[in-house]
Amino acid sequence: MAEASDYKAIGTRPVRPDGVDKVTGRAQFAADQNMPNMLYGKILRSPHAHARIKSVDVSGALAMDGVLAAVTGADFPAASGGEVGGEGGGDVADIACNIMARDKALYHGHAVAAVAAISQCIAEQALDAIEVEYEVLEPVLDVIAAMAEDATLLNDNNFTKGLPETSDKPSNVATTMTLARGNVEEGFEQADVTVESEYRLPMAHQGYIEPHACTASVNEEGKATVWCSTQGHFEFRSMTAKILNCKVSDLKFIAAEIGGGFGGKTVVYLEPVAVMLSRQSGRPVKMMMSREEVFRATGPTSATVVRIKVGAKNDGTITAARAWMAYEAGAFAGGPIGPGAMAIYAPYDLENFHVEAYDVLVNKPKVAAYRAPGAPQAMHAMECAVDELAGKLRMDPIDLRLKNAADEGTQAPYGPKFPPIGLKSCLEAAKAHPAYNAPLPDGAGRGVGVGFWFNIGMQSSAEVRINEDGTVIVMEGSPDIGGSRASMCLMASETLGVPYEQIKAYVGDTESTGFCNVTGGSRTTFATGMAVVQACDDIITQCKSRTAATWGVDEDQVEWQDGQAVPMPGVNAELTPLSLADIAGNAAKTGGPLLGRASLNAQGAGASYSVNICDLGIDRETGKVDVLAFTAIQDAGTAIHPAYVEGQMQGGAAQGLGWALNEEYLYDDQGVLENAGFLDYRIPVASDLPMIETQIIEVPNPSHPYGVRGVGETPIVGPLSATTNAASHALGKRIYELPLSPPRVLDAIDE
Amino acid sequence: MYQFNYHKPTTLDEAAAQFRDSDDPIYLSGGMTLIPTMKQRLAAPTDVIDLQAVEGLTGISASGGVVSVGAFTRHAEVAASPDVVEAIPALAALAAGIGDKQVRNRGTIGGSIANSDPSADYPAAVVALGATVHTTSRAISGESYFHDLFETSLQPGEIVTRIDFPVPARAAYQKFPNPASRYAVVGVMVADFGGVIRVGVTGAGPCAFRASGIEEVLNANLTPDAVDAVEVPDAGFNSDLHASAAYRAHLVKVMARRAVATMLG
Repeated sequence: MAEASDYKAIGTRPVRPDGVDKVTGRAQFAADQNMPNMLYGKILRSPHAHARIKSVDVSGALAMDGVLAAVTGADFPAASGGEVGGEGGGDVADIACNIMARDKALYHGHAVAAVAAISQCIAEQALDAIEVEYEVLEPVLDVIAAMAEDATLLNDNNFTKGLPETSDKPSNVATTMTLARGNVEEGFEQADVTVESEYRLPMAHQGYIEPHACTASVNEEGKATVWCSTQGHFEFRSMTAKILNCKVSDLKFIAAEIGGGFGGKTVVYLEPVAVMLSRQSGRPVKMMMSREEVFRATGPTSATVVRIKVGAKNDGTITAARAWMAYEAGAFAGGPIGPGAMAIYAPYDLENFHVEAYDVLVNKPKVAAYRAPGAPQAMHAMECAVDELAGKLRMDPIDLRLKNAADEGTQAPYGPKFPPIGLKSCLEAAKAHPAYNAPLPDGAGRGVGVGFWFNIGMQSSAEVRINEDGTVIVMEGSPDIGGSRASMCLMASETLGVPYEQIKAYVGDTESTGFCNVTGGSRTTFATGMAVVQACDDIITQCKSRTAATWGVDEDQVEWQDGQAVPMPGVNAELTPLSLADIAGNAAKTGGPLLGRASLNAQGAGASYSVNICDLGIDRETGKVDVLAFTAIQDAGTAIHPAYVEGQMQGGAAQGLGWALNEEYLYDDQGVLENAGFLDYRIPVASDLPMIETQIIEVPNPSHPYGVRGVGETPIVGPLSATTNAASHALGKRIYELPLSPPRVLDAIDE
Repeated sequence: MYQFNYHKPTTLDEAAAQFRDSDDPIYLSGGMTLIPTMKQRLAAPTDVIDLQAVEGLTGISASGGVVSVGAFTRHAEVAASPDVVEAIPALAALAAGIGDKQVRNRGTIGGSIANSDPSADYPAAVVALGATVHTTSRAISGESYFHDLFETSLQPGEIVTRIDFPVPARAAYQKFPNPASRYAVVGVMVADFGGVIRVGVTGAGPCAFRASGIEEVLNANLTPDAVDAVEVPDAGFNSDLHASAAYRAHLVKVMARRAVATMLG
């Protein structure tokens, strides 16, 4: 691996290739797809949080002028199970029943029928003409209540997975798991101080600005083409094929430009329904969710209750940690307990730990992946506990973490030994950072929190095509949600030695490029980037071979240097180097067009750690919390495009701060979401936040040709605990429940 | 949005006639509440009568101890008006803090007052300053103008034409904004008319009202601390996702105290 300073393209900050089209409104998002004779599809949603569906009659809707199709759960093939998708996937049978209820409506807003009509207005009127007979059941709305022995059951056929012996009694607990090492009780006996608390986080939505939308067009041969807003069109295709029981080759999925996903666009909601409606009507069908539908029926992430106990010796050595975590799954299994349990102790080198986690069904929307799914909830509890421990030990909270920090060679709580990781570098940078050492305004509090995400590899494909003038096209299949096309171009530029401006990257549809897993898990720059680098290497190999033939020398006598083929030292020095343009222009005579390709299942995604420092002030009379300063320090491995790495750090911080300060799903006692809109569900806007300061740490990942670590998810993890710790210090008492809404903070002050 | 007929009258008489001749009409001013409400299908008027071309509804003037603001004046215009800034700086500041820039450039004072949203800012000033609301048929005292949630003295078809604000010796407005909408969870204007203190509260109850208990203590002792002695009962106060009635009652005192402090400089 070259030293960072040797790079020519990597580490620069060029304008993103999709930028101009986006700021001028020319970029095509899913809702921009229009076709002749197109219909509009709309979904009828359950007005009850929990109800048996006794009958659905769409005949009244179908009888209306302008209504050309109507479907219900009964029109779909029987849902059969099986896992699909990477991060954010799940069981296909669950996804099928989530996008169209079968025998039960499991949350307020659950889809029960859909229509397609010649206008949106007629489609909406047609929904009113559908008759549904419900037997209303008691909703189960709280994770702890749902776990009770005598709780009302969402699913009579749910038997808890992960128990030593399968239970014959159905339960709302979908899955349980335990991770443990050493002897926790002995560990606590060695401790001089312990802290023990219960932390609660609310359900929160990803809050992407673009609502879900798609257009499906099925032709007379049954072939469907679907334009959609997705983080993974190949996986949308797989899910749709399984839900509709058709062949993958019967479906072509095109990923439109995407207006945010954050994990929430890794599962289908509309696409199989649109295909069904298009099949039935023989016309293209466009479906667009309203913001209210997005809130009621997509996302969100789990509300959680985490009970944690941590003990340490007077010198700061953590001797034991135990946690009990319950995650709300929503209406179907899938709360991210696995990553939560694996992440909770990831920053620490612990001899004794235990964590048990429960994935619990409640009558709320099925949760979807949200940026580092599961980790913010779990790590919030641990990072708050460690902060409390630092207070009891009278140790600096960063010093306490450094004392126990995981490092290269530490056995990760989830199994493998860590390769080089950047946690200690981040902690040391934080300790030395001016933001950590600046004086605090009167009454303000400062808190720190550590963030972490595993990152994943998975499958990617890429093609690199050299045009006849030497310009380059990179074709890959990872939807670009964070500037990845710019990163692909930079890595191609570095590898090929061709200027960035001569390279264009495209996200191909499911038929014009090879399979790529979802853009998620912070895998795209790492894994798809690796495929792009390998495809560029393939081009270089071909160029060397063709140059050798042209020159009449052996292939190993040609070297690739700064974008051209040059003779190796000692070979005939009079040979004129051949540029990529020279070779491409002469390709007809040397074997045809230059096409490089690579496909892989990437291994060795390096974990990314972060440390956040938050200063906040609290209005003691109103309870209002103001973030005064926020600094995010994170290991990016190698920052391919530093501005987009900083953007990820800032965006994740903004989302984490929103969750910490304002955001929460508020339900009434019947399970009706009361704040299904941005006026009442309060994501932060620019005026709510200070400038998020960033510092990129670069501890290269040895498993990537340029040292990349995924950076997209880690940034949301730290802000929750950094904020809570800062508030606790400002108030002189600990806060255990988020968000830090003014009335809640005022209550804490008054207590 | 449902289908509706759109009218754009140029005179008040024409507007009134169109109102009379429609099934379920509504006047459109800045549209900051009406349009979103219609988009969400919470309102479905048959006829929308757009007042933007009606003559004589705009303009700000100050004379004889009164600042007169035309009903169609945008919030941004009130905020930037040299007359308002000089005569009642608290009113200019209130206007400058409404919603966001887009809302301030579209929303009008008449629309705000006619709508009587319980969380709107202007009603606090109408009540505290003892404004007079002029309409197509009469002049209404600001104090008796607001009746209830979205209810005012206005009769069907009546249009607010201007609002006259008496100029106080000094005044100040403080609000606790909703973090999403910037509407006032609670907003309090305190005004000093030559030793007589008036206090207008918005956001707390179904409509803006004078806080006579607070006025009483301030008339006796014009200091921020004086407010602490007042009991603000939360009976009848709004309670919603953002704040309980008790929290709003608490905020009334905090905002009143801050308004007094600001006013006293």
